[in-house]
Amino acid sequence: MTPEPMTEDARTLVDIEEILQHLEAVSFVAHRDALAAKPAVEPLGPVAVRDWLEAVRTLFFHDREAGKAFLHNTPSALQGCDALQPWLQQALDFTRWVGSYKAVEGFMEQVGEVCRAWGEAGEREWYRLGIQWCERDLESGVAYFSVSFRALGGDDGCAGLQALMAPAETLYQERRLPLRMYLDGALRVRDVVGGAGVTAWARRGADILQAGRSRGEAYFRLESDESLSVLMEAVPGYRTLPHGRLFQLLLAAWFGQPYPMEGLLWRPGDGRPMIETDGRSLFVPPVFTDREEALLAVLHGAGHLKFGTYERAALEGLFAQAGMAHPPVDADQRITWRPLFARYGDDMFRFQLLFDMCEDLRVDAGIGRQVPGYLRRLLRLAEAYPMPDEPAATYYRLALESLRGAVDPTVLGPGLQPLLASEATVVDAFRIANGLFDGLALPAIGIEARAAAYLPARGFNAARPVYPRDDEADPHSALSRPEQDSVLKKTDQKREDRKVPKDAQGDPDFDIPPEDTSGTGGRVGVGIPQPAHVSAYGIQRPVSREGRPYPEWDYREQRYLTDWAWVQEQSLAERSPEQAMEILARNANALKRLRRALQMQRPTRPAPLRRQPEGDELDIEATVQYVTEKRAGRAPRPWVYKRRREQQRDTAVLLLADLSTSIMAEARNGEGKVVDRLRAGLMLFADALQAVGDPYAICGFASKYHDNVYFYPLKGFREPFTPDVRAALAAVSGRLASRMGAAIRHAVTRFDGVSASRRLLLILSDGRPADYDDGGDERYLHEDTRMAMKEAQDAGVHPFCVTLDSAGSEYLPSIFGPGHFMVLDNVDDLPARLPEIYLRLRR
Amino acid sequence: MKKLLDRIRGVERDVIQAPGDSDAPFYLSQGNEEEVFRAAYSKRLPVMLKGPTGCGKTRFLEYAAHTLGRPLVTVSCHEDLTSSDLVGRFLLEGEQTVWQDGPLTRAVKEGAICYLDEIVEARTDTTVVIHPLTDHRRQLPLDKKSQIIDAHEDFMLVISYNPGYQTVLKDLKPSTKQRFVAMTFEYPSEDTERRIVAKESGGMDGALLEQLVAAGRRARTLKDHGLEEATSTRALVYAGQLISAGLDPVEACRAAMVDPVTDDPELVEALMEIINSHLGGAAAAG
Repeated sequence: MTPEPMTEDARTLVDIEEILQHLEAVSFVAHRDALAAKPAVEPLGPVAVRDWLEAVRTLFFHDREAGKAFLHNTPSALQGCDALQPWLQQALDFTRWVGSYKAVEGFMEQVGEVCRAWGEAGEREWYRLGIQWCERDLESGVAYFSVSFRALGGDDGCAGLQALMAPAETLYQERRLPLRMYLDGALRVRDVVGGAGVTAWARRGADILQAGRSRGEAYFRLESDESLSVLMEAVPGYRTLPHGRLFQLLLAAWFGQPYPMEGLLWRPGDGRPMIETDGRSLFVPPVFTDREEALLAVLHGAGHLKFGTYERAALEGLFAQAGMAHPPVDADQRITWRPLFARYGDDMFRFQLLFDMCEDLRVDAGIGRQVPGYLRRLLRLAEAYPMPDEPAATYYRLALESLRGAVDPTVLGPGLQPLLASEATVVDAFRIANGLFDGLALPAIGIEARAAAYLPARGFNAARPVYPRDDEADPHSALSRPEQDSVLKKTDQKREDRKVPKDAQGDPDFDIPPEDTSGTGGRVGVGIPQPAHVSAYGIQRPVSREGRPYPEWDYREQRYLTDWAWVQEQSLAERSPEQAMEILARNANALKRLRRALQMQRPTRPAPLRRQPEGDELDIEATVQYVTEKRAGRAPRPWVYKRRREQQRDTAVLLLADLSTSIMAEARNGEGKVVDRLRAGLMLFADALQAVGDPYAICGFASKYHDNVYFYPLKGFREPFTPDVRAALAAVSGRLASRMGAAIRHAVTRFDGVSASRRLLLILSDGRPADYDDGGDERYLHEDTRMAMKEAQDAGVHPFCVTLDSAGSEYLPSIFGPGHFMVLDNVDDLPARLPEIYLRLRR
Repeated sequence: MKKLLDRIRGVERDVIQAPGDSDAPFYLSQGNEEEVFRAAYSKRLPVMLKGPTGCGKTRFLEYAAHTLGRPLVTVSCHEDLTSSDLVGRFLLEGEQTVWQDGPLTRAVKEGAICYLDEIVEARTDTTVVIHPLTDHRRQLPLDKKSQIIDAHEDFMLVISYNPGYQTVLKDLKPSTKQRFVAMTFEYPSEDTERRIVAKESGGMDGALLEQLVAAGRRARTLKDHGLEEATSTRALVYAGQLISAGLDPVEACRAAMVDPVTDDPELVEALMEIINSHLGGAAAAG
């Protein structure tokens, strides 16, 4: 009996079995998962099953993960699309490329949903756009499929998707920008400014991309200021950058010292903005929900620094409790947190939340003792905030209760009570947090949800590695306690080993071999606090004897070193007329205001005023006339006095600008460098003085060792203010160190021959007097400058110092005397304030 | 009768204020200033009162003069003050020229205490007039009359001086400063300041008084950050008076303590934050 010829169906079934056996031979998982998924396909008929299994096999051989993804998601794909196509064929398409499994995963996970939400046409479009990107750049394709299709579509479904992708298309055609660089940024931008905004943003980015590739790429990754500014303009809320000074003033008032503040890169979509710290500075995000939250956040952040969250001994205690002898530090000597939390394993976030909550309670209680009303305001803010979703909500409520307990200790749980005491430290917070961790049954929480668990104005306390803080002033930090009134105390501290920092490459000072610099390096100032290598004291080197010698005061030996400081006058060669025009244009408003104010300062007529209603002496002529007219029977006005003319005290001023290397650094509060502000300040000053009419001179100085003090006369007293002088002012730049004493002595001699009843020496500085060879002793040049100051006063010249160093009030009183200096917190103020200061002094 | 006359205002009074039967001006000691002044007065030494504006120098002098029973002449110095303003000048009366003594001359003749307030503001050619009075000679030359007056034995010279950065170029010459005995005044302690504000404002007390004084003291810490003058005790007194008159505390502080001293919007904002923290709703709620 001949066997019946196999029917189509039968052949199909045989094929199915064959494939299944093949799979089984190759991979246990493949076989098992295929069997698991097969029932979902069976209703479609054996042909469908066979086709499907063939696809399974192909995908599995191409990439194991791709195969697995295909199998796991088959049921959902079928459910969504009600058929094997088009997704089967589409999935196979991915096998064109090696390493595409991530794209397959993304695709398969979503394809069912896409079909259901957007229909078959929508799904095809979605697929088409994605696969096109796989062709061009696989990573971009992966990125595309990894994002949820709903996110891609936004509010407009498939049309929204097309609108989002259109600029990407153009960018690729014109500029070869791959999708992966564009996508994340575009999504954030669209969230904030809407679809139309994306197009504008992309177009602008295209231009920037043409100007510079890396700049353009940074723009699209939302890492550059340009792209962020577009976004930030549209984000509602309170901007922190323009209010930096307000924050500093408040910190100075409440905590006695300002803390350095820097910007934090935050983009919409990054979650709630929070302040971070590295133990030295506060990093402030560009925007907060409102002013109240911003102020409280700044206070809270500073409170951590003030009340010892990062204090060295306390941190060592913390790590000791966790069983580590020393806290681990990174290359910059900052303590890293991970080892402290590592032992909690997967529960790490849960513990961190509790620890932060306890420590925040302690710090807030401390702040509450200093700042009246703070706790209530914090509570009010927290209660008004929308409650987050679970599991964050549980932690939020816990923190809220603890805060209520800080305001009213009678409702605070006994476990947390010790944190309200002023002697409590972060170690106590750690201990109590551990108790809570073991004792309370709290839900697990993951990394995305934890940010929402923090009360407003609070943030992650361990966001960054931190520099441990010391009780005595850190010799490196710019913030020293105001109690340290005397420079004397600083010299008692041990000099630590200081290394030359890597990012000083390109600094002209570094052609000095380290062994020759035995001092603070001169690089102290508002700009870069860069210490140099401290080697032995007073290395011998050949002394050049050029220029004019001046004595220098050595306070240790209480005597003058004769002919020690050699001042050489040099002219600066650089001129920049274009820069000059630009500066004038930029500061046009300030200049206009200044000129108007100056009209009132002009000296008036030279002759004595006669026929005055009152005055020092009788105007004989008017008196005689008065008596005559009276005798004649008339009633004349008794204006018979003579008044001396309005004595304008004539003042001559020499503006001495510190042109050391620190002015070349970036300005702390704004864009550009300190030297830009300095140039503008010099030019406005010159303009102001031209209008007032007082005789004036402008000079700069910089030094390199005691025998090379360079004095740069930019404009002499008798010199006219020519465009050339203006161009020279606009081109000043910084170099070397500041040996202020010698510069002052030389400046005094420049007053010779100037006839004015008052002589003012206005010194513009950005840091301490320092030089490479001061032996590492800051006080040495301070004392010499003080002596030079006295000598100037004896010679009839009044010195006054304007400094950009916000720590100036620590050392300037002992050098210039209280009332003979002024600190400008905000370097941007310099161009406007400098002439103002002069005008006030001369009145 | 005397008191009735005192209460009639708008009446012309002589520049030399004789000590009357009225109550002594209110003054609370900060330290040993009364002793020092008494000692200086007993030897008729010239005295310099140093201190920031609004911390009680003038009030102290009024009080001391009253306690000692001496008449007081006050001259507010300014840049246009001439030596004639101090010493005297010729006036036309009718058809004659008549010499009229200036306040300094009158004090010298009648043995009053002459108080030159903010002497640094006057020009140096004016202030040299006082030199012969401040050494052992105790003489006042009247150049225009070609006369010299020997001071009355009870005459005493007092000047006041506010050391701020405005004095950099206008400072008194060291040779002038040396001729005086100096007394330094500062803002009073918190407790003293509270009592002063309570008395001067007419009965402020309790928590509000404490908050007001605390706010003022806290605002003082911003002196080096752009305020030329710190919040003075006088400003606190004004604020207290405004509050007693019924004005909202925060607004009173703004009017008395913030707006007069600065126009810088950031400083204003910072000061208002401090004031609100102490006196605003959150604190007032308890």
